[in-house]
Amino acid sequence: MPPPLSAAPPPAVRLANVTKTFGAHTAVRDLSLTVPTGCTYGFIGPNGSGKTTTIRTILHIFHPDSGAVEVLGERSTRAANDRIGYLPEERGLYKKMTVRRVLAYYAALKGMARADAAREIEKWLAKMGLSEWADKKVEALSKGMAQKIQFIAAVVARPELLILDEPFSGLDPVNLEVIRTAILELRAAGTTVIFSTHDMAMAETMCDFIFMIYRGNKVLDGTLSDIQRSYGEDTIRVNSAGGAELLRSLPGVELVRDLGQSQELRHPDPQALLRDLAPRTTVRHFEVTKPSLHDIFIRIAQPDAQELAVPKTTGGGS
Amino acid sequence: MNKIWRVAATEYLNAVRSKAFLVGVLLLPVIMAISIGVQFYAQKKTDLTPRRLAVLDRSGQLYEALAAKAKARNEALRTKPNSVAVELQGQRLKMDLPQQPEFVLEQFQFPGDDLKAAELQLSERVRRKELFAFLIIGQHILTPDATNHTELLYHTQTPTFHELPGWLDATLNAEIRERRFTAAGVDSKQVRQLSSQVPLHRLGLAEQKTSGEVIAAKHENRIATHAVPLGAMFLLFMTVMSSAPALMNTVLEEKMQKIAEVLLASVSPFQLMLGKLLGTVLVSLTLSSIYLVGTSWTLWKYGQLVHVPGHLFAWFFVFQLLSLLMFGSMFIAVGAACSEIRDAQNLIVPVMMTLMIPMLTWMAVLQSPASPFARALSLFPPATPIIMFLRIAIPPGPAWWEIALSLVLTTLFTLGCVWVSAKIFRLGILSQGQTPSIPKLIAWVFSK
Repeated sequence: MPPPLSAAPPPAVRLANVTKTFGAHTAVRDLSLTVPTGCTYGFIGPNGSGKTTTIRTILHIFHPDSGAVEVLGERSTRAANDRIGYLPEERGLYKKMTVRRVLAYYAALKGMARADAAREIEKWLAKMGLSEWADKKVEALSKGMAQKIQFIAAVVARPELLILDEPFSGLDPVNLEVIRTAILELRAAGTTVIFSTHDMAMAETMCDFIFMIYRGNKVLDGTLSDIQRSYGEDTIRVNSAGGAELLRSLPGVELVRDLGQSQELRHPDPQALLRDLAPRTTVRHFEVTKPSLHDIFIRIAQPDAQELAVPKTTGGGS
Repeated sequence: MNKIWRVAATEYLNAVRSKAFLVGVLLLPVIMAISIGVQFYAQKKTDLTPRRLAVLDRSGQLYEALAAKAKARNEALRTKPNSVAVELQGQRLKMDLPQQPEFVLEQFQFPGDDLKAAELQLSERVRRKELFAFLIIGQHILTPDATNHTELLYHTQTPTFHELPGWLDATLNAEIRERRFTAAGVDSKQVRQLSSQVPLHRLGLAEQKTSGEVIAAKHENRIATHAVPLGAMFLLFMTVMSSAPALMNTVLEEKMQKIAEVLLASVSPFQLMLGKLLGTVLVSLTLSSIYLVGTSWTLWKYGQLVHVPGHLFAWFFVFQLLSLLMFGSMFIAVGAACSEIRDAQNLIVPVMMTLMIPMLTWMAVLQSPASPFARALSLFPPATPIIMFLRIAIPPGPAWWEIALSLVLTTLFTLGCVWVSAKIFRLGILSQGQTPSIPKLIAWVFSK
C-alpha cells in the first residue's frame, strides 16, 4: 500500500512509491516525487533510464503497477489532463493538415472553445514568427518550424502544468532562444514546467529543482545548490600551460572533464596538487569548487558509479 | 463523449476533404462508365471482315443448301438496321445492335479419297490466310444408322471465333434433320409443330389480403430477384472495403509519426480508438449515401425504383454499420500492433480473408438462399452483414427470427471485436520495435 497522501495544498505533481514494469524490466522503481506548483523542474538521466516512463505516468498514459499519482489535485484519473500541456520527445504532427487546423484540433482535444482556441493560435503563431504559415500544410514546414508548432500545440490550451520532453533537441540557437524565452514567460505567469533534457547547462540555468533518474531509481532530487552541496567542494578547475596531458601524468589526479582551455579534476589534496603543479608549468587559474551538474551526471551514470547505491535527496522534492 | 466526437469529426473531415475521398466517390461510377463504354466501343469495333470458308461436301448433297443459307444470311445482315430505338419511361433511347461478319462459302472439289491430302491442302490455304476455316462434311451424314463418316469436321486456326462454327452447326443440323425426316417419310412440318417448345413462365406466390381478396402471383422480375440483391450486396461490400482498411493506415501513420503520444496526453486510448472508428463509419455512410442517392435517382428516372423495397435501404445502413464497426476495429488492432507497413501487410491477411468470405460464397447463397449452408453462413457473424443482407434482398427473404438472431449474434461479436481491439490498441499504440506474436497479442487482450 502506498503511504497516504497529505491534505496539504496540492502540489502540481505528487508521485508516491510509483513502480512501473514492462515484463521483466522495471522502468521506474518505488519513485516518490513532489513537484511544487509554479516551479520549473528538470528531469535528467541517461537514455532509457525512466524519464519518459515517469512523464507518461504523470500523464496517465501509463498506469503504475503500484503507488499513487496525483496531478493538479486529481488522483489516479485523467481528469487533470486537459490542464496539462505536453511536448513529447518525438514530435508528432499530421503532415497533411494545415498548421491552423492541427493546432485547433489539439486545442479542441483539451476542451478549448473554438473561438478561444483561434485567438490563442493567432497569438502564439505571431509570437513564434509563423503567422504566414498558418494555412500551409505541416509537411511544408522546416524542422525548426515544425518544432515550434509542436511547442504551440503544447501550450495553446493555456496549461497549468507544462511537460516538455527534450524541448530543445535539434533547435538552432535562434529557435532555442525563442522557445527558452517562451518557457520562462509561462513560468513567470505561474505555469508549472517540467522538462527533461540532456543539456546540463540548460538545466542548471532554467530549473528550480533537478530530478535525476538512473536505471529506474531516483538518484537526485532537489535544488541545484543543495545537490552540489551534498557533493561538497571536491572539484578543482585548472587552467595551465601544460594542459590535460600534464595533469594526467601527476599522481592522485582523477581527470573529470577536459574543457580545452581548462580542465576539471578531482584530487584528494588540492594544496599538494598545486605544489606539485607550480614548478612544472605556468598555472593561470586554480579553483577549488563545487561539481557541475554535468560532472555529477557523469559520476552517477558511470556504470560503476559508487554513488548509485545511495540516492542523494535534498530540498524541494520528497 | 465530447472528445470521442472531436476525434471522429477530425477523422471525418480529414477524410472527406482529401483528394482520395473524391477519387473514391468518383471511382465506382467512372469504372462502370468506362467498362460500359469500352464494351460499346468494342462492339462497334467488331472485326467485320468476311470469313471465307471452304466446304468439302463428301455427301455431295448439302453444299448448295448451305451456300444458299449463307447468302440469305449475308443479305439479311446488309439490310438489317445498325440500331434500334427503345422507349423507356417516355425516353427514346437508341441502342446499337451487335454487328456480325458475313460468311463467304466456296466449294472445295478434291479428286480421289485421300482425305488427309485434302486436309493438308486446305490447312495450307488457311495458313496463307486465303481461308478463315474449312469444313468437311461426312460422306454418310444423311444416313442416321451409318457408323462412319457421319460427322462435321470444322478446321481453323482461330478457335476463339465461335460465330461461324455455331452457325454451321445449327444450319447444317436443321437441314440434315429435314432431309432425314423426308427420307423417312415423316412430315417435317408436323414434327416441328409437335415438338415445339412450351414456354415456362416464372412467377412468385399468390397472396390473400386480410379482406379475403386474393392477389394473383406476379411474374418474376429479374431486376427484383437478381439485379437488386446483387447490386446492393456489392455496393455494401465496396463501401466497407473502401473505408475499413484505411483505418489500419491512419493508426499506423499516427504510430509511426509519433502523433499518438500527443493525442494520448489528451484523450484515453479507448476514446481515441472509438473516435477513429466513428469517424470512419461517418465517412463510409457518406460514401454509401452518395451512391444510394445516385443509384436510386437513376432507377427512378427509368422507372425501376419500384423493384427496390424500401426496407432494403434501412437494412443496408444497419449491416454497413455493423460491418464497419466489426472490421474497422480489426484493422485498427492490426495498425496498432505493428510498427511497419510490411508487418501490417502480413497480419492483415487473416482479416482480409474473413472479409472476403461473402465474396466467395454469394453464388451459392443466390442459388439457394434458404439452404442450410446459406442459413448457417448468414448466422456466422463475420459473414452476416453481407450474406444476411443478400438473403433479405432476395424475395421473399428469410424468416424474421433468423434476421433477429443474426443481429443479436453479430452485435455481440462486434462488441467483442471492439473490446479486443481496444485492449490491443491500448498497449500497441505506443509500443515500438518488433510486431508482437499472436500469443503476445492474446496476452495483451487479457492484461489488466
